Amino acid sequence: MEDEKQFFSGSGIPVKGIYTPEDVKDIDFDKDIGLAGEPPFTRGIYATMYRGRLWTIRRYSGINTPEETNELYRKEYELGQTGFSVATDVPTGYGTDADDPRAFADVGDAGVPISSLNDMETTFEGLPIDKVSTALEVSTVSGCPLTAMYLAIAEKRGLEIAQIRGTTLNDVTASSTCGYHKDLMPPQSLLRLSVDLIEWCCEHVPKWHPMCLDSYPYREQGINAVQELGLILATAIEYIEEEKRRGRLPLDQFVRRFAYNMGIHNDFFEEIAKLRAGRRMWYKIARERYGIEDPRCWQFRLHVQSAGCTHTTQEPLNNLIRIAYQILAAALGGAQSMHANGYDEGVCLPTEQSMLLSIRTGQILQYETNVINTIDPLGGSWYVESLTNEIERRTWEYIQKIEDMGGMTAAISSGWVHREYRDAMLEHERKIASGEITVVGMNKFRLDKDPYETPIFKPNPKSPEIQINKLQKLKKDRNKAQVDKALQELEKVTRGNENIMPATMEAVKAYATVGEITDVWRKVYGTWPSPMGI
Amino acid sequence: MSDKKIKVLMAKPGLEGHWRGMVAVSSALRDAGFEVIYGGNMMPAEIAASAVQEDVDVVGLSILSANYMLLVTKTLEELRNQGKADVLILLGGIIYEEDFDTLHKMGVTGIFIPGTPLADIVEFLRKQTVAMV
Repeated sequence: MEDEKQFFSGSGIPVKGIYTPEDVKDIDFDKDIGLAGEPPFTRGIYATMYRGRLWTIRRYSGINTPEETNELYRKEYELGQTGFSVATDVPTGYGTDADDPRAFADVGDAGVPISSLNDMETTFEGLPIDKVSTALEVSTVSGCPLTAMYLAIAEKRGLEIAQIRGTTLNDVTASSTCGYHKDLMPPQSLLRLSVDLIEWCCEHVPKWHPMCLDSYPYREQGINAVQELGLILATAIEYIEEEKRRGRLPLDQFVRRFAYNMGIHNDFFEEIAKLRAGRRMWYKIARERYGIEDPRCWQFRLHVQSAGCTHTTQEPLNNLIRIAYQILAAALGGAQSMHANGYDEGVCLPTEQSMLLSIRTGQILQYETNVINTIDPLGGSWYVESLTNEIERRTWEYIQKIEDMGGMTAAISSGWVHREYRDAMLEHERKIASGEITVVGMNKFRLDKDPYETPIFKPNPKSPEIQINKLQKLKKDRNKAQVDKALQELEKVTRGNENIMPATMEAVKAYATVGEITDVWRKVYGTWPSPMGI
Repeated sequence: MSDKKIKVLMAKPGLEGHWRGMVAVSSALRDAGFEVIYGGNMMPAEIAASAVQEDVDVVGLSILSANYMLLVTKTLEELRNQGKADVLILLGGIIYEEDFDTLHKMGVTGIFIPGTPLADIVEFLRKQTVAMV
């Protein structure tokens, strides 16, 4: 007998009570599923997956000042960490200097302030940047100068920049639609800077990932799994189309170092299906749509982060359980790298204890549960295969809608993406209020008083003062004429068609600040009023 | 009962950009009949100037930065400097209980942490503004 109650996935896909071979009868094993490491990569991008190499456990960190962050990184390095993931403070992320009056409350909060090459040098002092890989977790506008700074350290140490490994997030959709909503640059201009960075790195820093499509922040705005996958793939398509228009690099070379960063949420099977569908869809886009022949370009290299927006401020330890399930879903979905959030994200920046627990979450899964023993263990499940197909079908429809609007940049510029976020978030809030969505300990089973206290991390209130003093001293000591000349050259290049990166490199080496560099771009391109509203 | 609508300015002081809570609260207040001006990210002086210009009854601040004490202090200072000290202040975000008393004494009327039902915020503001209508 059919259940009367209807069940839906997180993105609204109807879910049946039981699945049978009938639900997957149209699947062609070789064409649609196949083996890991082979097209269409539904089961994983590498033939041996975790048997050959465990997923990387990364810790996103940075705090207070470059000096304190350096101390933290040295500790992480001694613990055996081989990759750093640089959290910058909010002002740096938007290209604002520590001594900008607008930054008065945000310097050193939620990340390290990096206003100049000086701060980058301090952050990585004593660390062998030729032996580690570093992810600069910043948007496009500060991504260009920060990447230049990191590479400038390499040059100053006499290292070949061609040997330096790392990643810049550099996603135009995240840069234009997530976070701070004032004084942004027009999306089309960010796309230009972003593609310049990719082209330049492809030619000069081949081991760098200059493009990490990053849907984690989009997902955090409130959208569902289909919207997330649709937006990240539509963004990737936009980049390829832009490079086709420019015609400067062969697409094989342009796409070769693309990587992806996605959120991983609560709907367990849907999230697994999302990662499986994402790999298959990217393969179809790269190979079938754009005719890219290099097999390395077909691989959807994926870092995932557990979803901060699923956390509650009430009973924060419950978040540990949520994170563990999310990271398990990422493992079953075949991600290459994972960041498990601190359980206290809804309360404060992570304490040392919560950072350690986030590493242990991945290690317990890797070393104690045997989930790594076989590849894509849910492949062939009538339910998961059918859900993978349905997510793919719905995501193609969503991408088509975006392409009908003229592509991602047009969709952002028109305010449509912001409205998607807002509408999804308000719908989510409505369902929480009505009880259609349950959040344990928050809108159901809520206690009158939190049953325990959580340790709170507080950033150093002295950081702004320390940074402002250092920056002002730097501005006095540096060669002003050299800075002015470099910034004038950058402006000239920005107004023309040449790649902005060589001039950006010269500017950072003259100790021009992030704010001075991004002000040049704001001067040339103007600012863009955010479409976010109610 | 008059038809006067209570006017609310919703703003996020500083650069930190977590907008979800502010948009959710703004929409809930508008749906409940308040006149809401959505300011987005604004600096304290801009918040005060806008509060004066729009002659609002209420200023709602949304802060998820650890430096909320500094941001609130600066904003209240600007409101006083610009002659708008009489406005009702609401504060939403990750605010620690240990600071509630100080914030109330500074002039913050309502404090709401994540997980507060939107209906509770609407109800609170209705009660607080009933005399203004």
